[in-house]
Amino acid sequence: MCGIVGYVGRRQAGPVLLNCLGKLEYRGYDSCGIAVSSGDLVVYKDAIRVKALAETLPRSIEGKAGIGHTRWATHGEPSQVNAHPHCDCTGRIAVVHNGVISNFQKLREQLSGEGHHFVSETDTEVIPHLIEKYYAGDLAKAVELALGEVEGSYAIAVLMSGESRLVVARKDSPLIIGIGDRENFIASDVPAILDYTSQVLYLEDGDIGVVTPGGVEVSQHGKVVRRERHTISWTVEDAQKGGYEHFMLKEIHEQPKVIRDTIGGYVSAAEPPAHLATMGDISLEEILILACGTSYHAALIGKYLMEELFKVAVRAELASEFSYSGRASSVSRAIVITQSGETADALKAIRKLKGEGCQVIVITNVVGSTASRLADQTVYTRAGPEISVAATKSFIAQLMALYWLALPYAKIDIRRLDGLVMELRQLPGKVQRVLDSEATISEYARQLARCEDVFFIGRGINFPVALEGALKLKEISYIHAEGYAAGELKHGPFALLGRETPVVAIVAQDNTYEAMLTSIKEVKARHSPVLALAEEGDEVVGEVADSVITLPRVDALFSPVLNAVALQLLAYYTARERGCPIDFPRNLAKSVTVE
Amino acid sequence: MKQAVILAAGEGQRLRPFTVNRPKAMLAIAGKPILQYVVEALAQNGIRDIVLVVGYHKEQVLDYMGSGEQLGVRLTYVTQPKQLGTAHALAQARGSIQGDFLTLAGDNLIEADTIASFLNIKPTAVLVKRVDDPMRYGVVTLDQRGEVKEIVEKPAEARGNLVSTGIYAFSPQIFDFIEPELDLPDVLNKMIGQGHTIRAEETEDTWLDVIYPWDILSLNDAILRQIQASLAGTVEAGVALKGQVWVGKGTVIRSGSYITGPVVIGEGCDIGPNVCILPATSLGNNVVISPFTQIKNSVIGDDVSIGPGGIIEDSVIDQGCIIGGHFTACCGREEVKVDHERHLVSVGAMLGEGCNLGSGVVAQPGAVVGNYAQVHSLKLLSGRLPDRSLVF
Repeated sequence: MCGIVGYVGRRQAGPVLLNCLGKLEYRGYDSCGIAVSSGDLVVYKDAIRVKALAETLPRSIEGKAGIGHTRWATHGEPSQVNAHPHCDCTGRIAVVHNGVISNFQKLREQLSGEGHHFVSETDTEVIPHLIEKYYAGDLAKAVELALGEVEGSYAIAVLMSGESRLVVARKDSPLIIGIGDRENFIASDVPAILDYTSQVLYLEDGDIGVVTPGGVEVSQHGKVVRRERHTISWTVEDAQKGGYEHFMLKEIHEQPKVIRDTIGGYVSAAEPPAHLATMGDISLEEILILACGTSYHAALIGKYLMEELFKVAVRAELASEFSYSGRASSVSRAIVITQSGETADALKAIRKLKGEGCQVIVITNVVGSTASRLADQTVYTRAGPEISVAATKSFIAQLMALYWLALPYAKIDIRRLDGLVMELRQLPGKVQRVLDSEATISEYARQLARCEDVFFIGRGINFPVALEGALKLKEISYIHAEGYAAGELKHGPFALLGRETPVVAIVAQDNTYEAMLTSIKEVKARHSPVLALAEEGDEVVGEVADSVITLPRVDALFSPVLNAVALQLLAYYTARERGCPIDFPRNLAKSVTVE
Repeated sequence: MKQAVILAAGEGQRLRPFTVNRPKAMLAIAGKPILQYVVEALAQNGIRDIVLVVGYHKEQVLDYMGSGEQLGVRLTYVTQPKQLGTAHALAQARGSIQGDFLTLAGDNLIEADTIASFLNIKPTAVLVKRVDDPMRYGVVTLDQRGEVKEIVEKPAEARGNLVSTGIYAFSPQIFDFIEPELDLPDVLNKMIGQGHTIRAEETEDTWLDVIYPWDILSLNDAILRQIQASLAGTVEAGVALKGQVWVGKGTVIRSGSYITGPVVIGEGCDIGPNVCILPATSLGNNVVISPFTQIKNSVIGDDVSIGPGGIIEDSVIDQGCIIGGHFTACCGREEVKVDHERHLVSVGAMLGEGCNLGSGVVAQPGAVVGNYAQVHSLKLLSGRLPDRSLVF
């Protein structure tokens, strides 16, 4: 998904385009760019976010017509050269595009043969060259002829030097025109332009529009058509959040789909996403996994998972501490997990590993990010853009990537393996059932919201889930929360327990079960209220804990997924009860690009 | 008319177990919820500003429909906190209405043609249709001028076979007549009583309501008649595909399978080898059908896994069921109880979501199995089993 915008009118186009693009970042934000025309056409673009682009721009860019683009790469890495707008050979025609040109290879070869010069890897670049080829004084005609050769989906905006009009077209990708006073706007989505106007036209498939400061003319197959004007009555936030109060809840609810897309993507690929062992060699040596923040919790779960499946030692370490270690890393293969692919600490760790001759597999959500360029192999999670600062769906997608990386190397009984693969297919439905129990979870959240300290405990593969549950709660609800391995509680934290300090206990049906029940009893003896997460059918937990959140039955190796989703909901509803700014908590930023 | 309000807050109690976790409008048929067919019909008629009234399990609607961008429409959501009736549902949309608008039910299947001629009618008006079983619906009587005289909901004895489709053209004036706890037909009757004119327009195109679980099969049949063959997955050598067969991306159909359309197979499915799928069957995404299984005229949900050697006909199997080998669900004429009503219907089995069936289970015609039921091997299922039943 990408976003495009355009402007013609009485103001300077640059600041207007940047403002509009900022509103479309929910569609993607790995690179962006604008083109502005006064007499000449100037293009500014890079693989950075809109705010960063705005800072690099010269003070005044003259020009009252322009186009802009914000990108979420699916083919071709995010880089300055692949960022939109794209130009023709002469640099006089600039195009922004949202969609996919399916026959671009053929067109590209054909145009190259005719002497056109291509600079990027994108499908989009064929469009400005086609327009250049057909241009004979009428830009709109040239666009129409160019699009006649194009197969696929597109919403495009075309700017030409010396022209104070935009030519736009759409097929199977969204495009709207905003009508202002002696100025007009174009955008992929309405929120982009709501700061300026609430009057919009929706273009239909096959429409070509010529947009000038004074008006809009839409035609289809060469005939002028009328598109009705609509008045927009809703606000920006409503639209992007798709009916939800916060991005975080929307993203939590996207998780069944994320799991399904991730599994589907990996299953249909002929090759596994990455090789843990050297090709042809199935013996595994010690593995190192590095990450920061929520990704570190995914790394810890990966450790328990791989140790169980491979029976080899796996270490999970904080990427931010890794560079201070005195020794060389001694492993030949490492996995680094970073949602953004730009986390400074993770990048530093990758460079250190590479310097020591280690093979690095990166798990990231951003195609072509710095981390993926440094890595030997990259596994992409398919979570899509994540807006909420608190990571939810990207965490679950990271777990799915780890499961998928690990399963082909599992040294376990074939019956267990078949069972695991079957369970993996059922996982989206089970996560949905956790989401369906939202109402119950929000009841418990109401009680939690009154507390100032909360402990989360778990053992084995669910110990990292306790850490993650505590992290979610503290970052969005500002309640002091600590995650502990249940066995460690007696070495200190017991002193803090009491009637005012609830404990959330994650109880899984694995070799930790009896020990967890013991831990809960110990906590109860110190009068702390206990909220347990347990599988349905477990009647014992209900007798020792004060309250129980019941989750669907699942193989213990996948239980972190369901437990994590339940704790995300618990954190969300607690923060909501306390009236916190959930999507943008104080002092936090989405991607930490400083050490 | 530029705006439409779709009522998608309703539960559909008589459709249990299929509506325990989703609103009626989100029942999936041939890979899409009914609501999506309604939205697509509006979009094809150029109505892109759509207000969705949601309530019961509204998250299911939000998650699936999103901003509407994928379908080329703009969706605004309003919530009906309690399901007090259709007029109350409509009243929730008041703040988003800017002029004359269309009102539709999100759980009735329509096509673009169904409403095409209704778009230019002057409010207030109702779209009506002649049906064979008017007693299930609101029966409309017209006066000599063809205007609505009265709408009687589910009459014991129907005077004529003209019924309301629940599709209305309203002006914002309608909000002045709405009282809580009323249904829209009552509001219209009230308006008629006060001397207002309600026009009626008749349609002969598709309009299907789903009231009972077995209605899902009729809707499936109606939708599958429209599909065009499309192949996105992998089809191994030695597979026979006849008629209109739609296969989603990432799906593998293995050797020796025989598929006769109309059939829809979702994305990421694993079918065969040697599976036989016969007409009017739709499979969701991520479905596994093991060798030597035959499926006919059935609706299978997402993530369902069916073991080898099964026979499934005229049945509905909801998402996430895991079914062992040699499962049998054959069709027969049987009396099925829904609430306190009894219906004599020809149907196979109806399984709620997340059921787990051992090997060699036989479901008798008309068996309705609740969600998350656990059934041991070699059991015979009949009648109605509540959610989370344990059969051993």
